Amino acid sequence: MSYLHYAWTNILQTLLRVLPFPCRTGLVKIGAPGRDSPVLLTCNFRLTVARVRRAIQGIDAYLLVANSRGINVWCAATGGLLTNHDVIAVLKTSGIEDLVDHRQLILPQLAATGIEGAVVHRKTGWTVVWGPVRASAIPAFLKAGSQAAASMRTIDFPWPQRLEMAVAWASPISLLALLLLLFWPQGALPVVGLVWALSALIFLSFPLYHERLRTTGGRIALALLLWLLFMAALLAATIHAGTLSWPLAIRWGAISLIVVAILTVDLMGSTPVYKGGFQEDRLLQIALDGELCTGVGLCEQVCPRNVFEVDYQQRVATVAKAEDCVQCGACIVQCPCDALHFRSATGAVVPPETVRRFKVNLLGRRLVDSARAT
Amino acid sequence: MSTFVLMRILESAPQRYDLGIRLLTLGRVQRAYDRLASYIDPGQRVLDIGCGTGPLALRAARRGASVRAIDVNPQMLEIAARHGRDTGLSDRIELVEMSVAELDAERSESYDVVMSGLCLSELGDDELAYTLKQVTRILRPGGLLLVADEVRPQSLVTRMLHSLVRIPLAILTYVISQRTTRPIAGLHDKLTQAGLSIMSADTSRLGSFIELMAKKPDKATA
Repeated sequence: MSYLHYAWTNILQTLLRVLPFPCRTGLVKIGAPGRDSPVLLTCNFRLTVARVRRAIQGIDAYLLVANSRGINVWCAATGGLLTNHDVIAVLKTSGIEDLVDHRQLILPQLAATGIEGAVVHRKTGWTVVWGPVRASAIPAFLKAGSQAAASMRTIDFPWPQRLEMAVAWASPISLLALLLLLFWPQGALPVVGLVWALSALIFLSFPLYHERLRTTGGRIALALLLWLLFMAALLAATIHAGTLSWPLAIRWGAISLIVVAILTVDLMGSTPVYKGGFQEDRLLQIALDGELCTGVGLCEQVCPRNVFEVDYQQRVATVAKAEDCVQCGACIVQCPCDALHFRSATGAVVPPETVRRFKVNLLGRRLVDSARAT
Repeated sequence: MSTFVLMRILESAPQRYDLGIRLLTLGRVQRAYDRLASYIDPGQRVLDIGCGTGPLALRAARRGASVRAIDVNPQMLEIAARHGRDTGLSDRIELVEMSVAELDAERSESYDVVMSGLCLSELGDDELAYTLKQVTRILRPGGLLLVADEVRPQSLVTRMLHSLVRIPLAILTYVISQRTTRPIAGLHDKLTQAGLSIMSADTSRLGSFIELMAKKPDKATA
């Protein structure tokens, strides 16, 4: 794939990031793979496939593209759109079983919220190995003998990803803002500019304020601060230009307040490092039953936030950094001892079989119902 | 993680699936299901592939068949089970969470009829070829495959006309149900390759929606 085509794919798909973009499923050969070459699996979101292919060019490997309905790995797996069934389907129908002598499948770690390694193994004989969080780490992962170092397993929110989220939010909101062309044509472009500026400001300055997002007060204070900053800039500019008037201040005050509200309403949920902060009734805590835990350590391998510590001598895990948990549920889905579960603020328990069957993002009413039942 | 709005929409998507699909096919699908189900006789053993909320399975059960209905989506299956209870047909429908990739576990020549409504178009090319091969294996000689699904129109002109109508409908359907289908290309050839004979195939005016009945050849003629 040419560099231009790759750049174009990245730009277009980042602009339309909130929409699914399916591409062809099935087997892709990278380089000249042989009977011992590694077999990797990814989703069929076009942008992801382009990035994975780019990350592993120069390596001889088989890439299986599973049907995630055109959605990225983490969202699809957590939302029930990239499941055991999709992995089993691509293993059994792509012809890969005739091409390699081994039965080791490297899955993206973020797929652990929806794909059960144990079920894939039982139904197909393939052993699941959890690969790194980011495709760019795949070469290092393979070089280390398919072992993911702690840094490869942990997700962070560096500026390129923050910029991507800023664009992903700004572009659909701008499309909506363009509706203004119908009844306030001269206002449409300034509103679009405002959306992009605020979005970039919010996501790029994230490291400065993110600790304060943990409380509702902090979140409201952030939104107000952003709004006041904009208003101060607006007042300064209009006073300087001599165009300040009450209608102008009120109009832009209201518009900017709406834009700030939209962008910050679930800011934490737009990051990979916090739970969505918007729905207090759906905030869950991870709970570990020490009686059931046998220290297998799969939780540590699949946790993207490095929450667990496993003592392999005592054969027991501990939830060492519960405050860093993003409630993705991967550990619960994978634990072979059923030693982990979610607990809600009201004390309701979401057992592992419910998380496995219905996926974290689809618990919704089930969570509320189970809380009411207790 | 995921945002509030997306979560709310997703978790209620299966409830809105029926409405979404009805829009995408402009209501054709219900009538197509009625006609397809009329091929089913009492006492027959029927497999419904990708049963979803169960519209075909319920029709088959109502005609007195005993139906095994498979789908990969546990929420769809929950809704199908509820429809089964509401209509008193539960004892004739066996709902199983299973994908087409596991059809190799079904016994050879164990079904009189295999049917599929709007499922084949959700499969990738490899999966579709695999599914049709398995369907041919598990049908008894003379058994029927009934399909209602979206296909790609044959000629370029109708294909373009079809796109004009479909794109806005597809967007609307996606907004409502977060689901879409990819029309199947070359279904006739794929069925023939799998060893099935097409007995009847009716396409809608633009050639985009197909109602099809195919037959596994009887032993004598095979």
